[in-house]
Amino acid sequence: MPDDIKNVLKDFIVENFLPFADENPFDDNDSFMEKGIINSAGVLELLQFIEERYNIKVEDEEVVPDNLDSLNKLVSFIEKKVKV
Amino acid sequence: MDFHLNILKIDCKQKVERICGFIRQQMQSLKREGAVVGLSGGIDSALIVALCVEALGKDKVFGLILPEKESNPISKEHALKQARKIGIDTEIIDIGSTLDGFGTYKQRDEIIKKIFPEYNSHYKLKITLPPDLLSRDTFNIFTLTIDDGKGNVKSARLKKDVLNAIVAATNTKQRTRMMHLYYYAEKMNYLVCGTTNRTEIIQGFFVKFGDGGVDIEPIAHLYKTQVYLLSEHLGVIEEIKQRTPSPDTYSFVVSDEEFFFRIPFNKLDLLLYAWENDVPQEEILEAMELTENQVNRAFRDFNAKKNATEHFRKPPPSLL
Repeated sequence: MPDDIKNVLKDFIVENFLPFADENPFDDNDSFMEKGIINSAGVLELLQFIEERYNIKVEDEEVVPDNLDSLNKLVSFIEKKVKV
Repeated sequence: MDFHLNILKIDCKQKVERICGFIRQQMQSLKREGAVVGLSGGIDSALIVALCVEALGKDKVFGLILPEKESNPISKEHALKQARKIGIDTEIIDIGSTLDGFGTYKQRDEIIKKIFPEYNSHYKLKITLPPDLLSRDTFNIFTLTIDDGKGNVKSARLKKDVLNAIVAATNTKQRTRMMHLYYYAEKMNYLVCGTTNRTEIIQGFFVKFGDGGVDIEPIAHLYKTQVYLLSEHLGVIEEIKQRTPSPDTYSFVVSDEEFFFRIPFNKLDLLLYAWENDVPQEEILEAMELTENQVNRAFRDFNAKKNATEHFRKPPPSLL
């Protein structure tokens, strides 16, 4: 499951935010904001995607870098939400 | 580097001389006969018009006041009062009919109705970012808030397409103002004098080809704090100096801090200065009594905003 989520998210991010990037444009622990991979508008798009894909509701107070600002953090966050 | 809370203090007399020299030099270089200034009723344009009069004389400065139906009426009052104080000619043009013709309000309202079906033109609306970046680590996610005027206030986090649509429609206000300013400037052989300060320019708090569409930017090097210092020195009217800065773009009153900056100006400018000048972190923490996390959070926000708006500050890439 974690690998599935990771691959799905990575594909989404590359397709939508880095369509012309080389292979493996970021590491699993890279900060999206600091590396300029996703900006604030992109976070909105990412939120919409994960809510629809995993049928979860991300509350406003959960929209924080600790939950969303790297591939690994995203995967952990989604796993927790899906289990609840 | 000796970083301290008074590091943004300026020699106002010297600063005025430098800025006036710049204005006169640009007038010469562009071969123009005067300056047109868009008077918003805010402190930046009040300062700019005072500087232009200082540099050129009141007969060579023309103020345009460009309200629309969602502007706070007090903005026009303040703009007129400042203009009368310094003795310049002004004209008031309501840009509402231009915006109606373009469909600004209609297109924006249709988008909002998809989120709040009960919304209509009698409601007030605003978009805001999460407050107090120094206390909470959050992304710059906009929330739409509507108020029916009867005590019913609702908010919703915006999705990207809705945010883009609202911002695109709203930006037509600034771009329409730019059109009016250039119409007068070209007719009179004047230049359009910008009013954007450093705090705004660095972070991209202006509309590309809107209030960013000007001929010169004389206060682009001044932090907001310094705009206030110079405004005090040049006698900008008290009402403008006391008023909380606002984009005055939405019908629901919103401050610059709520809408964009997320940090109060007294801390924001010091942090911006520190970030721009690579002040060692221990000096920042000591002088401002902040934590490492707070400073890092602010710097990350500055980086993100600057990077996202780099194209605002540069000419269009051109294949020559």
